[in-house]
Amino acid sequence: MLQRLREDKALQGLLLIAPTLLWMIVLLIIPLILTLVVSFGRRAPDGGVIFTFTLDNYIRLLGLQPDCLNPFACFDPLYVSILFRSLSLAFNTTVIVILLAYPLAYFIARAPHERRNTFLFLVLVPLWTNFVIRVYAWMMLLRTQGAINGVLGWLAGLLGIPFTPLEMLYTPGAVLVGMVYEFLPFMILPIYTSLEKIDPSLYEAAADLGANALKTFWRVTLPLSLPGVVAGTILVFVPVMGTFVVSDLLGGKQVILVGNLIQRQFLDARDPTFGSAASLVLMVLTLIVTLFYTRKFGFGKEIVV
Amino acid sequence: MKRVNTLFSFLVLFSLLLAACGGGAAGGGEAKEFVTSSGFVCPPPDPKLEVTSKQLNLFVWTEYLPTEWKECFTLVYGVQVNHDEYSSNEEMYAKLSAGGSNYDLVQPTDYIVSLMIKQGLIQKLDKSRLQAVFANMDANYMNLEFDPNNDYTLPYQAGTDALIYNADKVQNPPKRWADLWNPEYAGRMVFLDDSRIVIGMTLITLGYDPNTTDPAQLNEAKEKLKELVPRVKLFDSDSPKTALIAGDVDLGLTWTGEAFIANQEVPSITYVYPEEGAILWQDNWAIVANAPNLDAAYAWLNYTMQPNLFWLMLRDFPYINPNKGALEFAKANHPDLYEPYINSPITNPPQEAIEKGHRIKDVGEALPLYDQIWTEIKGGQ
Repeated sequence: MLQRLREDKALQGLLLIAPTLLWMIVLLIIPLILTLVVSFGRRAPDGGVIFTFTLDNYIRLLGLQPDCLNPFACFDPLYVSILFRSLSLAFNTTVIVILLAYPLAYFIARAPHERRNTFLFLVLVPLWTNFVIRVYAWMMLLRTQGAINGVLGWLAGLLGIPFTPLEMLYTPGAVLVGMVYEFLPFMILPIYTSLEKIDPSLYEAAADLGANALKTFWRVTLPLSLPGVVAGTILVFVPVMGTFVVSDLLGGKQVILVGNLIQRQFLDARDPTFGSAASLVLMVLTLIVTLFYTRKFGFGKEIVV
Repeated sequence: MKRVNTLFSFLVLFSLLLAACGGGAAGGGEAKEFVTSSGFVCPPPDPKLEVTSKQLNLFVWTEYLPTEWKECFTLVYGVQVNHDEYSSNEEMYAKLSAGGSNYDLVQPTDYIVSLMIKQGLIQKLDKSRLQAVFANMDANYMNLEFDPNNDYTLPYQAGTDALIYNADKVQNPPKRWADLWNPEYAGRMVFLDDSRIVIGMTLITLGYDPNTTDPAQLNEAKEKLKELVPRVKLFDSDSPKTALIAGDVDLGLTWTGEAFIANQEVPSITYVYPEEGAILWQDNWAIVANAPNLDAAYAWLNYTMQPNLFWLMLRDFPYINPNKGALEFAKANHPDLYEPYINSPITNPPQEAIEKGHRIKDVGEALPLYDQIWTEIKGGQ
């Protein structure tokens, strides 16, 4: 037995992945199948599930009614618009995060060797504190009588300018600030990794061939760092699509995102069938966007994370 | 060598941990008088019941048990008390109806009690084992519609949902639910993030039953709410008082305990029972259908609801207290807690406010309709 294990490479591989495989089957594959089955069911009056096969939940999500013959007359954009709102929030967050993270990653990658680790360490330090606590810290900063308005009011007082506190907390802007803050490190790290891997001799070659700094960046640095941007985008876009803690705390819960919609179905509305359908649609939508994006821009020759 | 050292220190740490645990179990031994770690002297149980269970599993609201109770119960009965928390009735219901839990006691609110009885999730109380508890209860909180003979539940705490405003900032204070639609209040309001309460309040404003299942009435409420929701700055059921005290909002819709604490901190924050009638609610103890530690559950109810322990609720969680005996005990022994409680209209509402009050009930099959309205008014921007 032991002898066989020593020789059989395939068996070794299987043994090595067995714990993870088991974990994935029990906690990912089986729940996913259950979600699929439940999503075709019907809500029982007490909030349980009647197992059957109906597409009603999906039809409702699309804004149609099961027994409505003219789709244009009874179209209700409610759930589609919630999905669209989540998509656009995720898109805006990702774009801003790229614009902020790229220069910073570039700066770190160009810094002297002995300082790079310090900078990377500083990027990671905020992650030591729990995510929700950091969002609460933003609440303290953004409040009408919070730290930012306090400093601004003090400055205005020094200069003798009249000052009315800015309303920042519980606005869409606050949600965007919170999201960008939260996910910035996940963009910086992959971009840094791919920038850092670029062979310095390529820059010398570009210079020898007469490219100026801008052209070198455009023709050499940017294309070679694109895999990092793609990896970072996936690390940011996908979680932002499903998250709702930041928007609840900083946005004041006035707006429902797809994450809230799903959570509400399982708790408040006691409609697990509709909640399951919504989760699957979110998953498929995210998958399509990600696939389209990676096909278009590619991971490069290797996946860089 | 280094590795050996690490291993050794782990072993030492582990054995210390073991010793600490052992010490805990061995302590509390023969002494007649039990004192908690905070110095509270545990009153003797009266009556003392026969308990063979070694554990008791509670499933309770967040921040809703005085810390001394668990410690005293363990000292007196030698039973280990475990507790999990929930922050909405729906969450608790979802967990219990999924099965597989081993909870003994839960704290459902009125409207979910009737549903849990129907679903067989809670069991009938053996009243012969709760005589002392029943004797302490204020009749006003007994035999309510959700459990007509208190066959399943014992009142724990009661409260109201009503209007709140900061008198320093609101010149024109609201008197009725309908006043919330005043355009002056736009962008200055905090509401509870609770679909049943907000939609219920709107139905009351329109003169309908807050538990209606009539789609036409609900549709009317939806249209009316579409005006109001964009003017609400914040929806918060966890701690609506924080935004009021911090000055982010000036008025809104909240419940008893939050209002009482906000008023203690900022006296200009005022609680008003709307003319159309506030929303009344009551949290209760109930025993889970397959409770594994039934004897400990009865002992817990008897012990913690003794007046000389239940008065702690006045200190920690100032809601409306349905335990008459505990109020008398507080009056005689802790007037510093009793006086503010009995003199505040928040914790001691006028009889008129109770009589005009409305209760939220389970709406069964209409529930997805309520959720759809909620999603629509919050999603339609």
